[in-house]
Amino acid sequence: MWEQLLEDAPRFFGIWNLMFLGQALLNTLLLSYLGAAFGFAIGFSLAIGRHPRLYGIAPIRLLATAYVEVFRRIPFLVKLMCIFFAFQLSGAQASLFTIALVTVVLSAAAFAAEIARAGIEAVPAPQWDAAEAMNFSRWKVLTRVVAPQSWRVVLPPLFGYAVGFIKSTSIASQIGVMELTYAAKILNTRGFSALLCFGTILIVYFLICWPTKRFGEHLEARLGRRPKV
Amino acid sequence: MNYSLIYSQVSEHIPYLLGGAILTLELAAISFLVGWAIGLTNASILHFGPRPARLAVQGYVTFFINTPLLVQIFFIFFVLPDAGILLSPYAAVAIGMSLNAGAYLTEIQRAGFQSLRREEIDAATAMGFSVPQIVWYVVLPHIAKALYPPLSNQFIIQVMTTSIAAIFAVEELTGRAYNVNSLTFRSLEVFSIVAVIYLVLTLACSLALALLGRWLFRVKARVF
Repeated sequence: MWEQLLEDAPRFFGIWNLMFLGQALLNTLLLSYLGAAFGFAIGFSLAIGRHPRLYGIAPIRLLATAYVEVFRRIPFLVKLMCIFFAFQLSGAQASLFTIALVTVVLSAAAFAAEIARAGIEAVPAPQWDAAEAMNFSRWKVLTRVVAPQSWRVVLPPLFGYAVGFIKSTSIASQIGVMELTYAAKILNTRGFSALLCFGTILIVYFLICWPTKRFGEHLEARLGRRPKV
Repeated sequence: MNYSLIYSQVSEHIPYLLGGAILTLELAAISFLVGWAIGLTNASILHFGPRPARLAVQGYVTFFINTPLLVQIFFIFFVLPDAGILLSPYAAVAIGMSLNAGAYLTEIQRAGFQSLRREEIDAATAMGFSVPQIVWYVVLPHIAKALYPPLSNQFIIQVMTTSIAAIFAVEELTGRAYNVNSLTFRSLEVFSIVAVIYLVLTLACSLALALLGRWLFRVKARVF
Protein backbone atom coordinates (compact mmCIF):
# COMPACT_ATOMS: atom_id res chain seq x y z
CA MET A 1 0.00 0.00 0.00
CA TRP A 2 2.71 2.50 0.98
CA GLU A 3 5.05 1.64 -1.92
CA GLN A 4 2.19 2.17 -4.35
CA LEU A 5 1.41 5.46 -2.65
CA LEU A 6 4.98 6.73 -3.06
CA GLU A 7 4.96 5.60 -6.66
CA ASP A 8 1.64 7.32 -7.43
CA ALA A 9 2.23 10.55 -5.54
CA PRO A 10 4.36 12.44 -8.12
CA ARG A 11 1.95 11.51 -10.90
CA PHE A 12 -1.07 12.42 -8.74
CA PHE A 13 0.26 15.86 -7.84
CA GLY A 14 1.06 16.67 -11.46
CA ILE A 15 0.13 20.07 -12.86
CA TRP A 16 -3.09 18.93 -14.58
CA ASN A 17 -4.45 17.17 -11.54
CA LEU A 18 -3.65 20.16 -9.38
CA MET A 19 -5.48 22.49 -11.77
CA PHE A 20 -8.40 20.06 -11.80
CA LEU A 21 -8.49 19.98 -8.01
CA GLY A 22 -8.07 23.76 -7.83
CA GLN A 23 -11.12 24.23 -10.05
CA ALA A 24 -13.05 21.82 -7.85
CA LEU A 25 -11.91 23.64 -4.72
CA LEU A 26 -13.09 26.92 -6.21
CA ASN A 27 -16.51 25.40 -6.87
CA THR A 28 -16.73 24.04 -3.32
CA LEU A 29 -15.81 27.44 -1.89
CA LEU A 30 -18.22 29.33 -4.15
CA LEU A 31 -21.02 26.89 -3.45
CA SER A 32 -20.62 26.99 0.32
CA TYR A 33 -19.73 30.62 0.98
CA LEU A 34 -22.08 32.09 -1.63
CA GLY A 35 -24.84 29.73 -0.54
CA ALA A 36 -24.28 30.54 3.13
CA ALA A 37 -24.23 34.32 2.46
CA PHE A 38 -27.49 34.34 0.48
CA GLY A 39 -29.05 31.83 2.84
CA PHE A 40 -28.17 33.81 5.94
CA ALA A 41 -29.67 36.97 4.40
CA ILE A 42 -32.94 35.14 3.73
CA GLY A 43 -32.77 33.52 7.17
CA PHE A 44 -32.57 36.90 8.90
CA SER A 45 -35.65 38.07 6.99
CA LEU A 46 -37.44 34.91 8.09
CA ALA A 47 -36.52 35.53 11.73
CA ILE A 48 -37.78 39.11 11.47
CA GLY A 49 -40.98 37.80 9.89
CA ARG A 50 -41.45 35.40 12.79
CA HIS A 51 -41.12 37.86 15.66
CA PRO A 52 -44.47 39.20 16.92
CA ARG A 53 -43.03 42.61 17.81
CA LEU A 54 -41.31 43.05 14.45
CA TYR A 55 -43.07 41.90 11.29
CA GLY A 56 -44.65 38.75 12.70
CA ILE A 57 -48.14 39.21 11.27
CA ALA A 58 -50.12 35.97 11.50
CA PRO A 59 -49.85 34.53 7.94
CA ILE A 60 -46.21 35.54 7.47
CA ARG A 61 -45.33 34.14 10.87
CA LEU A 62 -47.02 30.84 10.17
CA LEU A 63 -45.38 30.47 6.76
CA ALA A 64 -41.94 31.39 8.08
CA THR A 65 -42.25 28.94 10.99
CA ALA A 66 -43.44 26.15 8.69
CA TYR A 67 -40.59 26.80 6.28
CA VAL A 68 -37.96 26.75 9.03
CA GLU A 69 -39.32 23.58 10.63
CA VAL A 70 -39.67 21.72 7.33
CA PHE A 71 -36.26 22.62 5.93
CA ARG A 72 -34.46 21.78 9.16
CA ARG A 73 -36.00 18.33 9.32
CA ILE A 74 -35.28 17.01 5.84
CA PRO A 75 -31.81 15.60 5.06
CA PHE A 76 -29.66 17.61 2.65
CA LEU A 77 -29.54 14.75 0.15
CA VAL A 78 -33.33 14.50 -0.01
CA LYS A 79 -33.70 18.27 -0.39
CA LEU A 80 -31.10 18.19 -3.15
CA MET A 81 -32.94 15.42 -4.99
CA CYS A 82 -36.31 17.20 -4.67
CA ILE A 83 -34.89 20.45 -6.01
CA PHE A 84 -32.93 18.65 -8.72
CA PHE A 85 -36.02 16.87 -10.06
CA ALA A 86 -38.21 19.94 -9.60
CA PHE A 87 -35.83 21.90 -11.84
CA GLN A 88 -35.68 19.05 -14.33
CA LEU A 89 -39.44 18.61 -14.56
CA SER A 90 -40.22 22.32 -14.72
CA GLY A 91 -38.07 22.47 -17.84
CA ALA A 92 -36.01 25.37 -16.51
CA GLN A 93 -32.49 25.36 -17.90
CA ALA A 94 -30.31 25.49 -14.82
CA SER A 95 -26.76 24.29 -14.37
CA LEU A 96 -26.03 21.61 -11.79
CA PHE A 97 -24.10 24.24 -9.84
CA THR A 98 -27.19 26.47 -9.67
CA ILE A 99 -29.32 23.59 -8.43
CA ALA A 100 -26.83 22.78 -5.68
CA LEU A 101 -26.54 26.48 -4.83
CA VAL A 102 -30.31 26.80 -4.48
CA THR A 103 -30.31 23.82 -2.12
CA VAL A 104 -27.56 25.30 0.04
CA VAL A 105 -29.32 28.69 0.12
CA LEU A 106 -32.68 27.19 1.08
CA SER A 107 -31.21 25.07 3.88
CA ALA A 108 -28.89 27.81 5.15
CA ALA A 109 -31.91 30.14 5.36
CA ALA A 110 -33.78 27.74 7.64
CA PHE A 111 -30.81 27.28 10.00
CA ALA A 112 -29.90 30.99 10.05
CA ALA A 113 -33.50 31.86 10.93
CA GLU A 114 -33.15 29.87 14.15
CA ILE A 115 -29.85 31.55 15.08
CA ALA A 116 -31.26 34.97 14.33
CA ARG A 117 -34.31 34.18 16.43
CA ALA A 118 -32.04 33.40 19.39
CA GLY A 119 -30.27 36.72 18.75
CA ILE A 120 -33.52 38.67 18.68
CA GLU A 121 -34.73 36.95 21.84
CA ALA A 122 -31.48 37.96 23.57
CA VAL A 123 -32.61 41.59 23.46
CA PRO A 124 -34.15 42.20 26.91
CA ALA A 125 -37.87 42.97 27.14
CA PRO A 126 -37.49 46.48 28.67
CA GLN A 127 -35.65 47.55 25.53
CA TRP A 128 -38.67 46.60 23.43
CA ASP A 129 -41.03 48.36 25.83
CA ALA A 130 -38.92 51.50 25.83
CA ALA A 131 -38.77 51.56 22.03
CA GLU A 132 -42.53 51.09 21.81
CA ALA A 133 -43.15 53.75 24.44
CA MET A 134 -41.14 56.17 22.32
CA ASN A 135 -43.35 55.28 19.36
CA PHE A 136 -40.56 53.77 17.27
CA SER A 137 -41.74 52.23 14.05
CA ARG A 138 -41.06 48.51 13.49
CA TRP A 139 -38.27 49.33 11.10
CA LYS A 140 -36.70 51.70 13.60
CA VAL A 141 -36.97 49.13 16.42
CA LEU A 142 -35.20 46.66 14.18
CA THR A 143 -32.40 48.92 12.98
CA ARG A 144 -31.82 51.04 16.09
CA VAL A 145 -32.58 48.65 18.95
CA VAL A 146 -32.52 45.00 17.90
CA ALA A 147 -29.79 44.84 15.28
CA PRO A 148 -27.09 46.71 17.23
CA GLN A 149 -27.58 44.41 20.23
CA SER A 150 -28.18 41.04 18.62
CA TRP A 151 -25.42 40.92 16.02
CA ARG A 152 -22.92 39.95 18.71
CA VAL A 153 -25.00 36.90 19.57
CA VAL A 154 -25.82 35.99 15.97
CA LEU A 155 -22.49 36.39 14.21
CA PRO A 156 -20.26 33.75 15.89
CA PRO A 157 -22.53 30.68 15.48
CA LEU A 158 -23.00 31.55 11.79
CA PHE A 159 -19.40 30.48 11.18
CA GLY A 160 -20.07 27.14 12.81
CA TYR A 161 -23.04 26.66 10.49
CA ALA A 162 -20.99 27.81 7.50
CA VAL A 163 -18.65 24.89 8.24
CA GLY A 164 -21.70 22.65 8.19
CA PHE A 165 -22.55 23.88 4.71
CA ILE A 166 -19.02 23.45 3.41
CA LYS A 167 -19.35 19.84 4.51
CA SER A 168 -22.84 19.49 3.04
CA THR A 169 -21.62 20.58 -0.39
CA SER A 170 -19.77 17.25 -0.60
CA ILE A 171 -23.23 15.69 -1.05
CA ALA A 172 -23.72 17.82 -4.19
CA SER A 173 -21.29 15.37 -5.83
CA GLN A 174 -24.33 13.08 -6.03
CA ILE A 175 -25.90 15.12 -8.82
CA GLY A 176 -22.53 15.60 -10.50
CA VAL A 177 -21.49 19.10 -9.47
CA MET A 178 -17.75 19.45 -10.11
CA GLU A 179 -16.69 20.05 -6.53
CA LEU A 180 -13.97 18.46 -4.41
CA THR A 181 -15.68 15.17 -3.63
CA TYR A 182 -16.74 14.62 -7.24
CA ALA A 183 -13.23 15.48 -8.41
CA ALA A 184 -11.80 12.89 -6.02
CA LYS A 185 -14.24 10.28 -7.33
CA ILE A 186 -13.20 11.06 -10.91
CA LEU A 187 -9.49 10.86 -10.09
CA ASN A 188 -10.14 7.59 -8.30
CA THR A 189 -11.87 6.14 -11.38
CA ARG A 190 -8.91 7.29 -13.47
CA GLY A 191 -6.83 4.84 -11.51
CA PHE A 192 -5.24 6.86 -8.74
CA SER A 193 -5.29 5.13 -5.39
CA ALA A 194 -8.26 5.85 -3.16
CA LEU A 195 -5.93 6.78 -0.32
CA LEU A 196 -4.39 9.60 -2.37
CA CYS A 197 -7.67 10.88 -3.79
CA PHE A 198 -9.82 10.85 -0.67
CA GLY A 199 -6.94 11.53 1.71
CA THR A 200 -6.01 14.67 -0.22
CA ILE A 201 -9.50 16.11 -0.27
CA LEU A 202 -10.04 15.24 3.40
CA ILE A 203 -7.02 17.43 4.14
CA VAL A 204 -8.26 20.17 1.80
CA TYR A 205 -11.69 20.15 3.46
CA PHE A 206 -10.01 20.34 6.83
CA LEU A 207 -7.93 23.31 5.69
CA ILE A 208 -11.09 25.17 4.64
CA CYS A 209 -13.30 24.23 7.57
CA TRP A 210 -10.92 24.52 10.47
CA PRO A 211 -9.94 28.21 9.98
CA THR A 212 -13.61 29.11 9.44
CA LYS A 213 -14.59 27.41 12.67
CA ARG A 214 -11.64 28.91 14.56
CA PHE A 215 -12.57 32.36 13.31
CA GLY A 216 -16.10 31.88 14.67
CA GLU A 217 -14.73 30.78 18.05
CA HIS A 218 -12.36 33.73 18.10
CA LEU A 219 -15.25 36.11 17.39
CA GLU A 220 -17.34 34.47 20.09
CA ALA A 221 -14.62 34.96 22.68
CA ARG A 222 -14.02 38.55 21.56
CA LEU A 223 -17.61 39.68 21.33
CA GLY A 224 -18.60 37.85 24.50
CA ARG A 225 -15.98 39.66 26.58
CA ARG A 226 -17.32 43.13 25.92
CA PRO A 227 -20.09 44.34 28.20
CA LYS A 228 -23.57 44.07 26.73
CA VAL A 229 -25.35 47.36 26.05
CA MET B 1 -44.07 23.47 -16.99
CA ASN B 2 -46.66 20.97 -18.21
CA TYR B 3 -45.72 18.14 -15.89
CA SER B 4 -48.43 16.96 -13.55
CA LEU B 5 -47.60 15.21 -10.32
CA ILE B 6 -49.13 11.75 -10.18
CA TYR B 7 -48.82 10.03 -6.85
CA SER B 8 -50.86 6.90 -7.61
CA GLN B 9 -47.90 4.92 -8.97
CA VAL B 10 -45.74 5.78 -6.00
CA SER B 11 -48.33 5.38 -3.26
CA GLU B 12 -48.31 1.58 -3.56
CA HIS B 13 -44.62 1.67 -2.60
CA ILE B 14 -45.18 3.63 0.61
CA PRO B 15 -45.10 0.53 2.87
CA TYR B 16 -41.75 -0.40 1.27
CA LEU B 17 -40.44 3.11 1.97
CA LEU B 18 -41.66 2.96 5.56
CA GLY B 19 -39.75 -0.30 5.95
CA GLY B 20 -36.67 1.71 5.02
CA ALA B 21 -37.51 4.16 7.77
CA ILE B 22 -37.01 1.34 10.28
CA LEU B 23 -33.50 0.75 8.94
CA THR B 24 -32.93 4.51 9.13
CA LEU B 25 -33.84 4.50 12.81
CA GLU B 26 -31.70 1.41 13.40
CA LEU B 27 -28.66 3.02 11.78
CA ALA B 28 -29.25 6.25 13.69
CA ALA B 29 -29.56 4.36 16.98
CA ILE B 30 -26.41 2.27 16.39
CA SER B 31 -24.29 5.25 15.41
CA PHE B 32 -25.69 7.32 18.25
CA LEU B 33 -25.01 4.66 20.90
CA VAL B 34 -21.50 3.84 19.66
CA GLY B 35 -20.79 7.55 19.27
CA TRP B 36 -22.06 8.13 22.78
CA ALA B 37 -19.70 5.49 24.17
CA ILE B 38 -16.81 7.04 22.22
CA GLY B 39 -17.82 10.48 23.43
CA LEU B 40 -18.10 9.39 27.06
CA THR B 41 -14.64 7.76 26.96
CA ASN B 42 -13.13 10.79 25.23
CA ALA B 43 -14.76 13.30 27.56
CA SER B 44 -13.38 11.37 30.55
CA ILE B 45 -9.93 11.35 28.95
CA LEU B 46 -10.17 15.11 28.39
CA HIS B 47 -10.91 15.56 32.08
CA PHE B 48 -8.63 13.04 33.74
CA GLY B 49 -6.26 11.68 31.08
CA PRO B 50 -2.55 12.40 30.62
CA ARG B 51 -1.53 15.11 28.17
CA PRO B 52 -0.68 12.91 25.14
CA ALA B 53 -4.05 11.14 25.41
CA ARG B 54 -5.82 14.49 25.69
CA LEU B 55 -4.04 15.77 22.59
CA ALA B 56 -4.97 12.63 20.67
CA VAL B 57 -8.64 13.06 21.61
CA GLN B 58 -8.57 16.73 20.64
CA GLY B 59 -6.99 15.83 17.31
CA TYR B 60 -9.67 13.22 16.66
CA VAL B 61 -12.48 15.64 17.50
CA THR B 62 -11.06 18.52 15.45
CA PHE B 63 -10.44 16.32 12.44
CA PHE B 64 -13.84 14.62 12.39
CA ILE B 65 -15.79 17.82 13.03
CA ASN B 66 -14.02 19.70 10.24
CA THR B 67 -14.31 17.15 7.43
CA PRO B 68 -17.45 15.96 5.62
CA LEU B 69 -18.99 12.70 6.76
CA LEU B 70 -19.49 11.61 3.15
CA VAL B 71 -15.76 11.81 2.42
CA GLN B 72 -14.96 10.07 5.71
CA ILE B 73 -17.16 7.15 4.67
CA PHE B 74 -15.66 7.17 1.15
CA PHE B 75 -12.29 6.91 2.81
CA ILE B 76 -13.36 4.01 5.03
CA PHE B 77 -15.14 2.24 2.20
CA PHE B 78 -12.50 2.61 -0.54
CA VAL B 79 -9.19 2.92 1.29
CA LEU B 80 -9.45 0.24 3.98
CA PRO B 81 -9.83 -2.57 1.39
CA ASP B 82 -6.32 -1.62 0.16
CA ALA B 83 -5.10 -2.36 3.67
CA GLY B 84 -6.88 -5.70 3.63
CA ILE B 85 -10.00 -4.72 5.57
CA LEU B 86 -13.08 -5.44 3.50
CA LEU B 87 -16.27 -3.86 4.79
CA SER B 88 -19.88 -4.18 3.68
CA PRO B 89 -21.52 -0.85 2.75
CA TYR B 90 -23.69 -1.06 5.85
CA ALA B 91 -20.67 -1.61 8.10
CA ALA B 92 -18.68 1.18 6.44
CA VAL B 93 -21.57 3.63 6.88
CA ALA B 94 -22.17 2.53 10.47
CA ILE B 95 -18.48 2.90 11.36
CA GLY B 96 -18.18 6.28 9.63
CA MET B 97 -21.31 7.64 11.26
CA SER B 98 -20.29 6.34 14.68
CA LEU B 99 -16.84 7.91 14.48
CA ASN B 100 -18.36 11.15 13.26
CA ALA B 101 -21.03 11.18 15.97
CA GLY B 102 -18.33 10.30 18.50
CA ALA B 103 -16.54 13.57 17.76
CA TYR B 104 -19.69 15.68 18.23
CA LEU B 105 -20.74 13.74 21.32
CA THR B 106 -17.29 14.23 22.86
CA GLU B 107 -17.75 17.99 22.54
CA ILE B 108 -21.29 17.87 23.92
CA GLN B 109 -20.38 15.71 26.91
CA ARG B 110 -17.22 17.65 27.71
CA ALA B 111 -19.29 20.83 27.93
CA GLY B 112 -21.89 18.99 30.01
CA PHE B 113 -19.31 17.80 32.54
CA GLN B 114 -17.81 21.27 32.73
CA SER B 115 -21.16 22.75 33.67
CA LEU B 116 -20.93 20.88 36.99
CA ARG B 117 -19.83 23.37 39.64
CA ARG B 118 -17.42 22.70 42.47
CA GLU B 119 -19.83 24.40 44.93
CA GLU B 120 -22.54 21.81 44.34
CA ILE B 121 -20.24 19.02 45.45
CA ASP B 122 -18.89 21.08 48.36
CA ALA B 123 -22.44 21.77 49.54
CA ALA B 124 -23.29 18.08 49.35
CA THR B 125 -20.12 17.19 51.28
CA ALA B 126 -20.97 19.81 53.92
CA MET B 127 -24.40 18.24 54.33
CA GLY B 128 -22.76 14.89 55.07
CA PHE B 129 -23.41 13.10 51.76
CA SER B 130 -21.20 10.09 51.14
CA VAL B 131 -19.36 9.83 47.80
CA PRO B 132 -21.87 7.40 46.20
CA GLN B 133 -24.67 9.63 47.46
CA ILE B 134 -23.01 12.71 45.93
CA VAL B 135 -22.69 10.90 42.61
CA TRP B 136 -26.25 9.59 42.68
CA TYR B 137 -28.10 12.61 44.06
CA VAL B 138 -25.99 15.57 42.88
CA VAL B 139 -23.63 14.80 40.00
CA LEU B 140 -25.77 12.45 37.89
CA PRO B 141 -29.03 14.48 38.04
CA HIS B 142 -27.13 17.63 37.13
CA ILE B 143 -25.31 16.03 34.21
CA ALA B 144 -28.42 14.23 32.98
CA LYS B 145 -30.37 17.46 32.99
CA ALA B 146 -27.61 19.43 31.29
CA LEU B 147 -26.89 16.79 28.66
CA TYR B 148 -30.37 15.62 27.75
CA PRO B 149 -31.37 18.42 25.33
CA PRO B 150 -28.13 18.42 23.27
CA LEU B 151 -28.02 14.62 23.23
CA SER B 152 -31.58 14.30 21.94
CA ASN B 153 -30.78 16.98 19.39
CA GLN B 154 -27.81 14.93 18.22
CA PHE B 155 -30.04 11.88 17.82
CA ILE B 156 -32.33 13.83 15.48
CA ILE B 157 -29.25 14.91 13.50
CA GLN B 158 -28.18 11.25 13.28
CA VAL B 159 -31.60 10.29 11.89
CA MET B 160 -31.20 12.83 9.09
CA THR B 161 -27.57 11.98 8.47
CA THR B 162 -28.39 8.33 7.76
CA SER B 163 -29.63 9.46 4.33
CA ILE B 164 -25.97 9.48 3.28
CA ALA B 165 -26.06 5.67 3.52
CA ALA B 166 -28.13 5.71 0.31
CA ILE B 167 -25.01 6.79 -1.59
CA PHE B 168 -23.42 3.48 -0.56
CA ALA B 169 -26.49 1.50 -1.67
CA VAL B 170 -27.72 0.79 1.86
CA GLU B 171 -31.46 0.36 1.56
CA GLU B 172 -32.65 2.75 4.21
CA LEU B 173 -35.31 5.38 3.58
CA THR B 174 -33.42 7.40 0.96
CA GLY B 175 -31.86 4.25 -0.52
CA ARG B 176 -35.30 2.77 -1.04
CA ALA B 177 -36.41 6.08 -2.54
CA TYR B 178 -33.70 5.61 -5.18
CA ASN B 179 -35.03 2.10 -5.82
CA VAL B 180 -38.64 3.24 -6.19
CA ASN B 181 -37.45 6.09 -8.39
CA SER B 182 -35.71 3.75 -10.82
CA LEU B 183 -38.80 1.54 -10.83
CA THR B 184 -41.47 4.17 -11.45
CA PHE B 185 -39.51 7.21 -12.76
CA ARG B 186 -41.82 9.39 -10.68
CA SER B 187 -38.81 11.19 -9.19
CA LEU B 188 -40.32 14.29 -7.65
CA GLU B 189 -43.24 12.32 -6.26
CA VAL B 190 -40.95 9.76 -4.62
CA PHE B 191 -38.59 12.28 -3.07
CA SER B 192 -41.36 14.58 -1.87
CA ILE B 193 -43.02 11.63 -0.13
CA VAL B 194 -39.66 10.69 1.40
CA ALA B 195 -39.18 14.29 2.54
CA VAL B 196 -42.55 14.14 4.31
CA ILE B 197 -41.62 10.79 5.91
CA TYR B 198 -38.38 12.33 7.23
CA LEU B 199 -40.35 15.31 8.54
CA VAL B 200 -42.84 13.11 10.37
CA LEU B 201 -40.10 10.76 11.60
CA THR B 202 -37.93 13.51 13.11
CA LEU B 203 -40.96 15.29 14.57
CA ALA B 204 -42.11 12.06 16.20
CA CYS B 205 -38.59 11.45 17.56
CA SER B 206 -38.36 15.01 18.90
CA LEU B 207 -41.75 14.70 20.57
CA ALA B 208 -40.99 11.27 22.07
CA LEU B 209 -37.60 12.44 23.36
CA ALA B 210 -39.10 15.63 24.82
CA LEU B 211 -41.78 13.63 26.67
CA LEU B 212 -39.22 11.09 27.86
CA GLY B 213 -36.94 13.86 29.10
CA ARG B 214 -39.75 15.56 30.96
CA TRP B 215 -40.73 12.29 32.60
CA LEU B 216 -37.19 11.10 33.42
CA PHE B 217 -35.22 14.24 34.28
CA ARG B 218 -37.86 17.00 34.32
CA VAL B 219 -36.11 18.62 31.36
CA LYS B 220 -38.21 21.22 29.61
CA ALA B 221 -37.23 20.45 26.03
CA ARG B 222 -38.67 22.40 23.14
CA VAL B 223 -40.00 20.49 20.16
CA PHE B 224 -40.48 23.57 17.96
